[in-house]
Amino acid sequence: MTDTTGAVVKSESEIGGGLTPKEAKKRRMEQMTAEERGYLRRKALMEAVWPFFRFVILFGLGFVILYPLIYMVSCTFRERSDMTDPTVMWIPRHYTLKVLKETISAMDFWNTLKTTLLLNIGCSFVQVLSCAVTGYGFARFKFKGKGLLFGIVIMMILVPTQVIALPLYAQFRFFGIRGLFSINLIDTMWTMYLPAITGNGIRSGLMILIFRQFFRGLPKELEDAAYIDGCGPFMTFIRVMIPNAGSAFLTVFLFSVVWYWNDYYVSSTFFTNTQTVAKMLQNLDTQLKQRLFNSATIEISPREQIVWKEAGCLLSITPILALYVCLQKYFTEGIARSGITGI
Amino acid sequence: MAEAKAEKKKGIKMPYEKRKAMYGYGFIALWMVGTLFFFLIPLVKSLWYSFNEVSIGTGKMLTKFVGLEKYDYVLNTDPNYTTYLKDMLLETLWKTPLVLIFSLFIAVILNQKFRGRTLSRAIFFLPVIIATGPVYKIINGDMSSTGNTGAAQFSTMFSTDLVGELLQFLGIYGLSDKMSTMISTVADNIFGIVWASGIQILLFLGALQNIPPSAKEAAQMEGATAWEYFWKITLPYVSPFILANLIFTVIDSFTSPMNTVMGRILTMKEEWKFGEASAMAWIYFAIVLAAVGLVTAIVNKFIYYEVE
Repeated sequence: MTDTTGAVVKSESEIGGGLTPKEAKKRRMEQMTAEERGYLRRKALMEAVWPFFRFVILFGLGFVILYPLIYMVSCTFRERSDMTDPTVMWIPRHYTLKVLKETISAMDFWNTLKTTLLLNIGCSFVQVLSCAVTGYGFARFKFKGKGLLFGIVIMMILVPTQVIALPLYAQFRFFGIRGLFSINLIDTMWTMYLPAITGNGIRSGLMILIFRQFFRGLPKELEDAAYIDGCGPFMTFIRVMIPNAGSAFLTVFLFSVVWYWNDYYVSSTFFTNTQTVAKMLQNLDTQLKQRLFNSATIEISPREQIVWKEAGCLLSITPILALYVCLQKYFTEGIARSGITGI
Repeated sequence: MAEAKAEKKKGIKMPYEKRKAMYGYGFIALWMVGTLFFFLIPLVKSLWYSFNEVSIGTGKMLTKFVGLEKYDYVLNTDPNYTTYLKDMLLETLWKTPLVLIFSLFIAVILNQKFRGRTLSRAIFFLPVIIATGPVYKIINGDMSSTGNTGAAQFSTMFSTDLVGELLQFLGIYGLSDKMSTMISTVADNIFGIVWASGIQILLFLGALQNIPPSAKEAAQMEGATAWEYFWKITLPYVSPFILANLIFTVIDSFTSPMNTVMGRILTMKEEWKFGEASAMAWIYFAIVLAAVGLVTAIVNKFIYYEVE
């Protein structure tokens, strides 16, 4: 850094001097005032020391984040007796797949995974579409009451689900037209799908906001060209805007999948027998108690139970972690590029 | 949507502006319907429930107006609620600024060029995909239903004991109890703060990348130190995001699996005490909303908007 900035400033006077870079630099240093030299020296020192500190900071904090994951893996593949063995810290003494298998059966993992994926992918998909359409409406059209309606979007971000969960439960329990008919939607997937289709699913307020910002950032000329060619607004949206919004769609979709995956509040409110992975993990304690710990033949101390809990954690984050590793770019760069940066 | 199309077909001449407005309604129509049913009505109902004795009847919810009785119960009679509320509000109060400072700091570091940057970013955003679910609860060692000592041991095994061991290693023995509790709290909270800052880092990083190169060049020409650069260039440019992140952090604390107030509300609901649960939710929400509104009003004065 020192060289380049110096060179840019002073190089004109040096041209034709026929000096080697080292000599040129020396001469430049001589021409500087003490203040300038001090600045450059401090800067050089800072640049030498800082990477070391940066490494220490990042390494330490990175470890804080990775530590639970490493611990999870370590616990999953050890026997429960290793938990009470004080010599075992990270590397298990006895490797076994037993714990993993038992946890899979306790969580009924494959069926649960199937249900979760069905809910997750489907809901995320329809919700991304509905939120994109809504966001586009807010971004590009002027209509009466727009400010008020957008205020409602902000409210949707602010109001915690817990506040509206109770009446929503009642609404799904007696779904229909008052006095005519009502059906019980509790424990069906409609309780997740209906809000998602209409852009009211988990964190949809945030998604509408992201899409609004994104579409506002696209050049207006795109649409004007389409309008002049005789394309209506809806066709313009489908033919012109959607192809341009590919990465935004993917980013929001990924976040939506993550949010649905991790949600247990909404699903435990509306589902009684339908199981999702997050809900299963939440109730893992009870499941394990029923299936494993209650047997009279073996005694399992609370500390040993951790093995199964960690295995459950590992199971439930693996799919989403795999997604994250494969599409990391869209998670980390997508949000910054497509939208929300313009708050 | 259908309306607008029909009118077009009939050939009724509509001013361009008005027609565009109709299309606007068309685009948000689906959302409006959904919001009415799945957001606005439940929101109003929940407020209404908090003033009522609620029970489930055949085919509908039965309500009996009792005025402020539920609020009175929640604030004065309920054994846990006020304690939880106080703790939760206090925690939000001191944790939010720490999360903001920390995430800005990390974002500035992650915005520099160095080897392994992509990997570091990937690691620091990991909490975004994990920390929102029940996994975090187990990681954090809070087994609510069992409350066993093993879990507590596990959560503190690393932070507390390691710090203790480190101190012993350094030859520091016999610290007062107060001191060692303080150290362990700090260690525990570093974990909490790091895990709560995923999205915030992401947003700050986005903001940092939007700082125009010209600003950076100008600062370099004038010989700004990194310290001056941070205060005179970085901070003004990211200031709008400080507010956004502040709101996001507070909202996030609502949905955190560690939120005891929300846990209490859920328990009340499971006991079919809908009125009480609603009152609890509304008190909490109203306090937080008022606080956020106040902070927004204050912070807004110090924010630098480039456009205006």
